[in-house]
Amino acid sequence: MPAAASFRYLLPVLVGLATLGGWEAVVRANEIPPYILPGPILIAETLVADWGTLWPSLLVTLEITALALLVATVGGVALALLFAQSRLVELTLFPYAVVLQVTPIVAIAPLILIYVDDTRAALLICAWIVAFFPILSNTTLGLVSTDRNLLDLFRLYGAGRFRTLAWLRFPAALPYFLGGLRIAGGLCLIGAVVAEFAAGTAGSGSGLAYRILEAGYRLNVPRMYAALVMIAGVGILIFLALTALNHLILRRWHESARGAE
Amino acid sequence: MQDRVAVATPLGVRLRALTLSYGGAALIREVDLDLAPGRITCLLGPSGIGKSTLLKAIAGLLTPDAGRIEGDDGRPLAGRVAWMGQDAGLLPWSDALGNVTLGSRLRGEPPDRERAQALLRLVGLAEAAAMLPAKLSGGMRQRVALARTLYEDKPVVLMDEPFAALDALTRHRLQAEAARLLAGRAVLLVTHDPAEALRLGHAVVVMRGAPAEFSQQLTPPGDPPRDPTEPAMAALQRRLLAELGAEVTA
Repeated sequence: MPAAASFRYLLPVLVGLATLGGWEAVVRANEIPPYILPGPILIAETLVADWGTLWPSLLVTLEITALALLVATVGGVALALLFAQSRLVELTLFPYAVVLQVTPIVAIAPLILIYVDDTRAALLICAWIVAFFPILSNTTLGLVSTDRNLLDLFRLYGAGRFRTLAWLRFPAALPYFLGGLRIAGGLCLIGAVVAEFAAGTAGSGSGLAYRILEAGYRLNVPRMYAALVMIAGVGILIFLALTALNHLILRRWHESARGAE
Repeated sequence: MQDRVAVATPLGVRLRALTLSYGGAALIREVDLDLAPGRITCLLGPSGIGKSTLLKAIAGLLTPDAGRIEGDDGRPLAGRVAWMGQDAGLLPWSDALGNVTLGSRLRGEPPDRERAQALLRLVGLAEAAAMLPAKLSGGMRQRVALARTLYEDKPVVLMDEPFAALDALTRHRLQAEAARLLAGRAVLLVTHDPAEALRLGHAVVVMRGAPAEFSQQLTPPGDPPRDPTEPAMAALQRRLLAELGAEVTA
């Protein structure tokens, strides 16, 4: 149904435009000064005017985010493999994974910054702590919920542990892993930004969060908004990219991706 | 190649003084059963009586509490058994041909794609070799599973209600194809449907009671696939139903 499909994009865009229009109107009608609330047009202008400052900062934040996602993926999957191989290991280590997950990263970040000299490494660790858990728990769930009948069949036909893992449990866990990855992508960005906030006050970072802090001290509110827009944009891009990856890998055989075709 | 389906050396199966339990309760106690080489034996019984557990024990997927399971040559069955279940059990990310040749890949042998293709042709899926299971109907998926079972080329085939999830027409067709293609192997087919047992079994064994016992082997006249609506078959079917029913009221 093309009508429904166009509504799917049209309606959110209309709501967005109406909100921005209303915002701009309120700012102009009340003559609100930019250091209290800049209008969307001014924010867009700032985004263009400050591009030279913001773009390099975006790259710094992006680099941390991407690296953290990579490390979280490797670490999360490796731990999940370990957990899936031995129930004992899972029982022993899982509580600590939960502890890391539930302790707010803002609270841990200052400590990590004290103990880890290299700021980049500290930021990476923070982002990793936030992001690895969904990958770990989803992948573990996927690895241990392999179809019993297929496991029996693999055993009957003489498949060893490695072949069972490579050709059955791993592909079967793929949809779970990709679901975890989608969550982790957003969390990596959050972790990177939060850690930068914690580190930024010491003047040691130059990512987008640092720009927000810096602009805040100077009451350059339009630039704060401009940096915020960039962070949100990056988050959306990461989500879209991982969703596309998910679709690309699963669309041929998995129910979740086939339903959308 | 058409009939390179048959195995070289037929093999029978002997169960001796076999005891199996599930969750602490004895399912069968010290029973004997013989599967004749090259014959289809249908094991008929109500749900939950332990038919599938028995099948798994013969497949070597679980260890019996006591007793022996062996080929009629006195050697263990390991590596000489193929399996087909109620669920086709196909890898959803692998195409039909890849699923048929799964056993080769699992053993680290190069897959015999030509033979797999020929088997797919035999089960009427020549065109579907490159299709993923998600694109196949339930009947087609079960045909792929049958081709995979035949690809294994084992003298013993265990089938756990392989046609139970199919619609009546598909089931009827697939039963006939299976009976034809499995000729020469010792097949143990588990079912709860007396009509299916009479259609496919050279011998029919009823499993009943707790712990379960095997009835005398019933050998319907003629070769499978038979027509279960024939008067002689209908009478046998009534008898089997009565045997099953007696178990229900007991």
